[in-house]
Amino acid sequence: MTVVLLTGVTTPLGTALAKALVEDAEVQQVIGVGLEQSPPPDLANDAVVYERWDLSKERNIRRMLFGSCRERGVTHVIHSAFHRSPLAEGGHIHRLNVESTRHLLRFCERHPTIRRFVFRSDVEVYRHDHLHPTLLREDQPLELSRNTKQRVRDRVEADLTVCTRMGLSSLSICVLRLAELLAPESGSQLYDWLLSRIAIRPLGYNPMVNLLSLEDAVAALVAGVKGEAQGVFNIPGFDSLPLKRLAELAGVRPVALPGPMLSPLYRWRERVRKTEFTYEMNDGRFHTSDLLDGTRARVELGYEPRRGIDFSLLKPTRGTRRPVPRGSRSEPH
Amino acid sequence: MRFNKGMLSTDRHIFDNMYFRDAGHGYDEFGFHPKTARWGIKALAPLYNIYFRVKGYGTSRIPKEGPAVLAANHAGMLPIDAVMLALDVFANTTPARWPRASMDQFVPLMPFVGTFFSRCGAVAGSRGNFGRLLDSGELVTAFPEGVPGIQKPIWKRYQLQEWRVGHCELAIRHGAPVIPVGIIGSEEQWPQVGRIDWIKFLGAPYLPIPITPIPLPVRIHIHYGEPIPLQEEYAPEQSDDPAVLAAAATRVKDAVEELIAAGLEQREGLFR
Repeated sequence: MTVVLLTGVTTPLGTALAKALVEDAEVQQVIGVGLEQSPPPDLANDAVVYERWDLSKERNIRRMLFGSCRERGVTHVIHSAFHRSPLAEGGHIHRLNVESTRHLLRFCERHPTIRRFVFRSDVEVYRHDHLHPTLLREDQPLELSRNTKQRVRDRVEADLTVCTRMGLSSLSICVLRLAELLAPESGSQLYDWLLSRIAIRPLGYNPMVNLLSLEDAVAALVAGVKGEAQGVFNIPGFDSLPLKRLAELAGVRPVALPGPMLSPLYRWRERVRKTEFTYEMNDGRFHTSDLLDGTRARVELGYEPRRGIDFSLLKPTRGTRRPVPRGSRSEPH
Repeated sequence: MRFNKGMLSTDRHIFDNMYFRDAGHGYDEFGFHPKTARWGIKALAPLYNIYFRVKGYGTSRIPKEGPAVLAANHAGMLPIDAVMLALDVFANTTPARWPRASMDQFVPLMPFVGTFFSRCGAVAGSRGNFGRLLDSGELVTAFPEGVPGIQKPIWKRYQLQEWRVGHCELAIRHGAPVIPVGIIGSEEQWPQVGRIDWIKFLGAPYLPIPITPIPLPVRIHIHYGEPIPLQEEYAPEQSDDPAVLAAAATRVKDAVEELIAAGLEQREGLFR
């Protein structure tokens, strides 16, 4: 039987994943880890054991894995904890995003019962430029530019940290690079982009974007847990559409302005309206199409995107769709 | 307006029956949008039917279904030959097939142009993109001469430039035949006498200097050769063998040269 340890359980993805795992007949127990005092209301039942740990500290990871996890006989680990804010920077954030992954993996390798390690990565790790194919395979160049924001640097480093242990470890390791998960509280830059009445994009460009629904993200992670395949897998979403069409479907007015104006405009918007969309992180994909090629995940994990985004849920109703202040998303994972 | 056989019609039902893999919102994963393509074809139909009076020969050799690579000579300052070839395939296939062309890697970065081209079915020229299209059963066009083909001056017309091997590599790897195509007329339609190279910083490789402000109404003849079944003669793993690729590419180049020679001999005049 499978006992799953799930980090980042308090995020919308983590909560939905925990619920899906609990309903799976092969899964005996789910242990959800978060930093919050109590589990999300959706998980306040006996099916998911909630544990509060600060994963930025090595000793906490050791105590968690060799304490309660050993007692419960954890067999699978899904590591999806990552700081939600794209703007958060500093040593503490790095410890949570990267060092926790390193320690978790190291301790899992020594653990007596853990067999499989599934790491949730992101499309952001890929470099966006016009020189690579529109459909990104798993061997595409990663974003290693010097001027990259810490969030992306951390994601790349954490991804590579896990990749370097593949084939060398006793663990079966699987890295899932998820397409943009268009959902609140998921760190989605495009979701933040749509959090106003107008969505500004570069004039003359309307690239294709691929979007992943929460249901498909959960399905992919469940396939990652239940599968035996090792390696890196792209997880594309069901919806592929132009950026302008996305704004229209979300009920936001798309406005095209000359490219050089966008960076200062979005910086101003970030300061005044306290949104978390940063143009520097999206400059590349606002100019060229980058979609994930999910052939490998389909063949080896049996994952196929099936559920599209319900765009009607993104449409603002008067007074209900306000930019989320940064303070409300300060929970690290 | 009625159209004779071989002339381009833009009736809606032709587009409705066209092969198209919808990725969910009326676009394919590369951004191809048949509705935009229809408007583009409508706008270009007079050029095909009246201005260049394009005539196709051996159009029955274009596969009705399944993947295939159309490999043609390239000339004419702007890729008008690529557009006319696509329109000719569209006009002469039932159900209509819309061949997917490649854009040079600088084109997607050009505002408006890159987006419009991708809506009309062009893809950035990379092995990954073309491999995906062939795997999906699409018809793709390749101009193995690349940019050197369209930047050659008028006095080098119908002299094939360095013939690259990528189209054969893709055909062998993804199990597609190569159809050689000889395009007559495009090499004289817009004579070029020089070029400005210092605009590279704008993303384009050069700015051509033509003799005439607009292309000449030279009649374009498109000759399709017998399909070369590389996919039957070579195993996919041989697509990495340089000797195999060189031999296959030479075969395609020879076939295109033969079509050009026969087409030039057959032609009664520049504008006829």
